[in-house]
Amino acid sequence: MAALTASPARPRTVPGGGYRAGVAGTLRSELTKIRSVRSTYWTLFLLVAAGVAWSIAYCVGEASRWASMAPQDRLGFDPTQSSVVGLALLGQLVIVVLGTLTLTSEYSTGMIRTSLTVMPRRGVLYGAKAAVLTAVALAVAFVTSFASFFIGQALLTNTHVSATLSQPNVLRAVLGSALYVVLCGLFAFGLGAIIRSTAGAMTAAYGLLFLVPQLAKALPNTWYADVDRWLPGGDVVNAITNTQQVNNNPHLFSAWGEFAVFGAYTAILLVLGAVLFRKRDA
Amino acid sequence: MIEARNLTKRYGSTVAVNDLGFTIRPGLVTGFLGPNGAGKTTTMRLILGLDNPTAGTVTVNGKAHPQLSSPMHEVGALLDAKAVHGGRSARNHLLCLAQTNGISRRRVDEVLGVVGLSDVAGKRSKGFSLGMSQRLGIAATLLGDPQILMFDEPVNGLDPEGILWIRNLMKSLAAEGRTVFVSSHLMSEMENTADHVIVIGRGRLIADCSMADFIARSAGQAIRVRTPQPEALARAVAAAGGRSAGAADGEAGELEVSGLTEERVGDIAFAHGVRLHHLTPSRASLEQAFMELTADSVEYHAGLPETRQSAHIGNGGLTWRH
Repeated sequence: MAALTASPARPRTVPGGGYRAGVAGTLRSELTKIRSVRSTYWTLFLLVAAGVAWSIAYCVGEASRWASMAPQDRLGFDPTQSSVVGLALLGQLVIVVLGTLTLTSEYSTGMIRTSLTVMPRRGVLYGAKAAVLTAVALAVAFVTSFASFFIGQALLTNTHVSATLSQPNVLRAVLGSALYVVLCGLFAFGLGAIIRSTAGAMTAAYGLLFLVPQLAKALPNTWYADVDRWLPGGDVVNAITNTQQVNNNPHLFSAWGEFAVFGAYTAILLVLGAVLFRKRDA
Repeated sequence: MIEARNLTKRYGSTVAVNDLGFTIRPGLVTGFLGPNGAGKTTTMRLILGLDNPTAGTVTVNGKAHPQLSSPMHEVGALLDAKAVHGGRSARNHLLCLAQTNGISRRRVDEVLGVVGLSDVAGKRSKGFSLGMSQRLGIAATLLGDPQILMFDEPVNGLDPEGILWIRNLMKSLAAEGRTVFVSSHLMSEMENTADHVIVIGRGRLIADCSMADFIARSAGQAIRVRTPQPEALARAVAAAGGRSAGAADGEAGELEVSGLTEERVGDIAFAHGVRLHHLTPSRASLEQAFMELTADSVEYHAGLPETRQSAHIGNGGLTWRH
């Protein structure tokens, strides 16, 4: 062991450095981080499994009910939503874990201090983390949403109402369910930056996405009608995955409108998180 | 080169670092000493830009740490060896650090070899012993071939072999002309490693001098003798203009003589027919000197019985700040 100290710590190839901390390197580093821990694979596997499993279970069920379905039910049946809503509903539960851990796992392990020592430009580190999370979540969520859609429609063939991407609103619902999942990941990432503890940030994310919309239902009906369109989570999922005019909730904005509202909340959390990340002691 | 000027950090009403000023020079191992809670780690966090100072400045090679363009080449720092994601393999841990600064995979494997972790490079660091974690942390500091290395209590909890390894590593890094800044709460640890010491207590600078000076000043000029005739020797010493006292921690017949050289004490004893069984210069241990220095600044005192003795410290040459 003592012999180790005899070997100089200098690299042979690069005399006196030539190293620079930069954006590209930090992006590569964050990609290495996210793909070198098991929790990433578990959460992404669950995301795919939840989306596809929902699609299969729901569409098989609807297909078998179809023959005995009342005409007005058939009218309101939304084959697209049936296949992709599971990704949004269940996927948000899963992606919140990945989004939160992206930053809070560094705080819980103490790794953040090392990360900031080697990349002291905090804005760059924060941005790289958010960008890598977005890229990974986008890739997996899109694959899942299209897979869920096509599997679901295949299972609905015998109803003769199965959807195609060229029909009105269908592509929007397929893309929207995936994008919603990505936004939920960033929503949780922002909360993670603000709260810095895994348990705290996850609780806050689930609280805002699930509890707040539920609690709002306790409001008087007229109030709720006014508030509903501004709530995160909840009816956003319905608004962005619904493709049938008859099922439109009149109290909500359009699908992209609801999407924008939730996007704005996410942006606020991300910006607040960035400001705190740059300012606070690590 | 690390330079701190009037560096102050408050957490709420607690002053962790209080108006610190020092310069840490290249080519030396600088020991950073102080009791637990003295502000050593906080100072290091301030140097690395992890915490923002309440007042004052600290620069690394003339720049605030966040302004460094190649941080890993300028500073390698190990604050806490266990502060890694345990689910990541040693190699991937180093790789994600290296990539931020554009450091190659080959360099990652190289430093794994330097610290002796090549065989476990693919293993998740969760299962690493403290010694292995320390090596991994040190590998991370070496990645960028840095000019400045900082280690916070690097030998804490290590076995003797690990301690020796780190000691030698620090010395060899300094010998290559690098700046090595290492903290410890144990004086004895620094005695063998550091060329220069900075001592702080309760966030304030207590001493900033070379280790040689510190030893010279701390080791009293007393001489310890053991004789079956202590009274006769004490009288003879007093007659020769010296002072003597029973050694507080000694056995019966042991005296601490000051104001005279070893040769004089021997000669006086011979002249007065006093038999000596033992004659040795009593260097108050550095540990004791250190405890004296920081006695007023220890944050948490245990309710110990009367154990502290008056150490023989000439403090004239040290930089005292109160």
